[in-house]
Amino acid sequence: MNNLLKTFIAILAIINFSWIAKADYPEKPITMVIPFGPGGSHDLNARVFTSIIPQYLGNAIIVKLVPGASGQTGTAMVAQAKPDGYTLLFTHNYVDQLQHHVKKLPYKPLSDFVTVGRLNYAAACMIVLSKSKYQSVQDVFDAAKSSNGKLKLGHSGMWGATMVPMAQLMSWGKVNANLTPFKGGGPMVKGLLAGDVEAVLHFPSVIKGQGSKVRTLACGAKEKSLGTPPTFEELGFTGQIGYMDRILMAPAKTPPERIKILQDALSKLKDDKTFKKFMKRLGENMKFMSGPDYEKIRAEKSNNYKSLVKQMTKG
Amino acid sequence: MLESFFNSFPLILGSGNFLTIIFVIALGLLIGLFVGALPGLTTLMAMAIVLPISFFMDPLVGIPFLIGVYKGGIFGGSIPAILVSLPGTGASVATTFDGPPLTKMGKGRKALETALFSSVIADFSSDIVTILLIGPIALVALLIGPPELAAILFLSILIISSTSNGSVGKNMIMLAAGLFIAMIGQDPIAALSRFTFDVFELRAGVPLLPMLIGLFAIPEILINIETKAKEFVKTKLNLKKEEKLTWEEFLKLRKTILRSTVIGTTIGMIPGVGQVVAAFVGYAAAKNSSKTPEKFGKGELEGIAAPEAANNAVNGPTLVPLLTLGIPGDNITAILLGAFIAHGLRPGPELMSEQGSIVFAILLCMLIANILFLILGYFTMPLFSKVVTIKKSYLIPLTIIFAFAGSYVFRHNPADLYFLLFFGIFGYILKKLQFDVTPLVMAFILAPSLEYAFGQTLSLGDDNVLMYLLSERPIAALIIVSTPVITWKLFQRSKKLRDVATSLTSSQVKSS
Repeated sequence: MNNLLKTFIAILAIINFSWIAKADYPEKPITMVIPFGPGGSHDLNARVFTSIIPQYLGNAIIVKLVPGASGQTGTAMVAQAKPDGYTLLFTHNYVDQLQHHVKKLPYKPLSDFVTVGRLNYAAACMIVLSKSKYQSVQDVFDAAKSSNGKLKLGHSGMWGATMVPMAQLMSWGKVNANLTPFKGGGPMVKGLLAGDVEAVLHFPSVIKGQGSKVRTLACGAKEKSLGTPPTFEELGFTGQIGYMDRILMAPAKTPPERIKILQDALSKLKDDKTFKKFMKRLGENMKFMSGPDYEKIRAEKSNNYKSLVKQMTKG
Repeated sequence: MLESFFNSFPLILGSGNFLTIIFVIALGLLIGLFVGALPGLTTLMAMAIVLPISFFMDPLVGIPFLIGVYKGGIFGGSIPAILVSLPGTGASVATTFDGPPLTKMGKGRKALETALFSSVIADFSSDIVTILLIGPIALVALLIGPPELAAILFLSILIISSTSNGSVGKNMIMLAAGLFIAMIGQDPIAALSRFTFDVFELRAGVPLLPMLIGLFAIPEILINIETKAKEFVKTKLNLKKEEKLTWEEFLKLRKTILRSTVIGTTIGMIPGVGQVVAAFVGYAAAKNSSKTPEKFGKGELEGIAAPEAANNAVNGPTLVPLLTLGIPGDNITAILLGAFIAHGLRPGPELMSEQGSIVFAILLCMLIANILFLILGYFTMPLFSKVVTIKKSYLIPLTIIFAFAGSYVFRHNPADLYFLLFFGIFGYILKKLQFDVTPLVMAFILAPSLEYAFGQTLSLGDDNVLMYLLSERPIAALIIVSTPVITWKLFQRSKKLRDVATSLTSSQVKSS
């Protein structure tokens, strides 16, 4: 009898509990749009964290890749979605804070979206072939100067994550160079290996795979795994450069209590063992930043990009 | 290198791994096969979805699993192309030329088996070539930069247009139309909008899949409806018993399969060209060397074997830049790269020299996948060929549903349905006016890469492109110089073939 009662109570509790859980957000899987193609670093980071986050969130996050028009198609899709917390956007700072300075967009990134959190960032490094005669960033600047701006440098797409910092560096060094675009990071590295271009910017996780074939001249952040090359800041550049923030955004009108739930779940990742293990394998850091903290630097970054764009499109 | 090759065997055979590997490859193949066979669900999507599963497996289990999905998916796309003229990818477009006519003759199963055997044989041979020549292939990959790629793509477009059906004038119109449609959207280099007329839906360009389904499946459906009364009663009788491919028929195909394998493997070594070109060039070459080219497009088994063998032969060599240089050649290899990295293995020169045996073990898994696929495919083909034996009155609405659902599922974008309708009607009109849409599709698929490579060449050449080509890019210069010669030869040959074909048909008309 006692047992039966216990079972009965247990069943009631489960029904009751699951009923409560259902009433709470999230009661169904959340869709997370990535406005880029499959196989890139956003896709990879997303696959890792979405496979671990359900235990903290109570429901799954489903990745939906919507590439096109340099991120505009996917971003527009989330901007138009119902702001109920079931459609999120996983993007980066150049799409979020720079694009509206160069293009007419059907949405306003800064006011239409709010940051849930920054998962991590990747800081670009300048690399050359190890047989190259350039030993420092200054050598590259000098070569650019003496070649009358004909030094061949590569980037991975207009107004993208390696093009913007390259332009920032060139304008800081007051030099011009021949910036040739490549269709993404892979082809850009191939261009460097084949000698089509002489220096490129790329992220540490990729540079490690090239081993002794390339030399790292300087990085956006301290990179112990690359033999601690100098940072651009140590070389005299003021401010952050080459940071690609992987940020999770929600439509601005999403109820704040739902954003809070998302933020809590996201912040728990940094202590998760499996998450740490995978991030280490990917060669990515876990420099998490909370949504409110990121909001503080977001507008400022956007302003910096604005003046850079003005300077670049003027000449 | 040799040592790491032999060390790779125990990795696969030892410690009870072997059965697990066999199991996951087979599972992957089946997943891929079904996903590939459903229009709108791409192999790429399927791989992206199962990628996290592979994270939690042993590397030598997880990666073969993905390879299974990849191989199964690529072949799966040919099934709807053969049965109902629904190409799921650019690579299976050439298969729609002879597949549906064969299906109509009640030879659907024969066509599917031809596709299976040619795919597996070509894939297997190209994998062996890849294992033997992995070093040299990696070198070739580095020799092909933007100028060479631009020259090769330009030549490919010309070759395919000049060997297509229909008159030269019509082909050139289609070629120009394809180039124009490809220009809608953002220009690939500076990312500025062109020909979008401020319509947001056009900003990302015209989507490939709705366009392919529209151009190939919708006209086929409409024509089927037109001829319903006349033909379908007749074909239904044939479909009750699906014939298998006979040994004699297979032997007749061996030359075609061999030729296409060589073409596909060579094209696979050139990064950035890919399966689409291989399939079309394979088809064109088979037609050109056939004694009965007039049968192509009307239900010729060689017309299935040629593109299928060629596009599968690309698979082996495309993995080389990934494995040896750490550079993914396309989206699919980019996902494989992800699987490697998540296991702490970063493909590149270091992995090759330090853990070369793992690289070879993966290549061996590809060989195993081919053998497994032959068996699995052989037993699932009758199942698929049965699909079209249902009454035509069900098949047509079913195809329409698949065409629309497939176009929508691709990007979840309602605008794609308009694209589908537009290209459906456009394709129907073109078919009635006897235009061959091949040059249009080819130009559309290759134009963005061509434009990109061309733009890069201009940028690299700075203000003197000619000097740059002559002094630093001898390979590109050579290809450019030989382009007019090759095109002229091919054009003359296909003109001769066309003349023969017309005289044959006119003599047939006379005799009947």
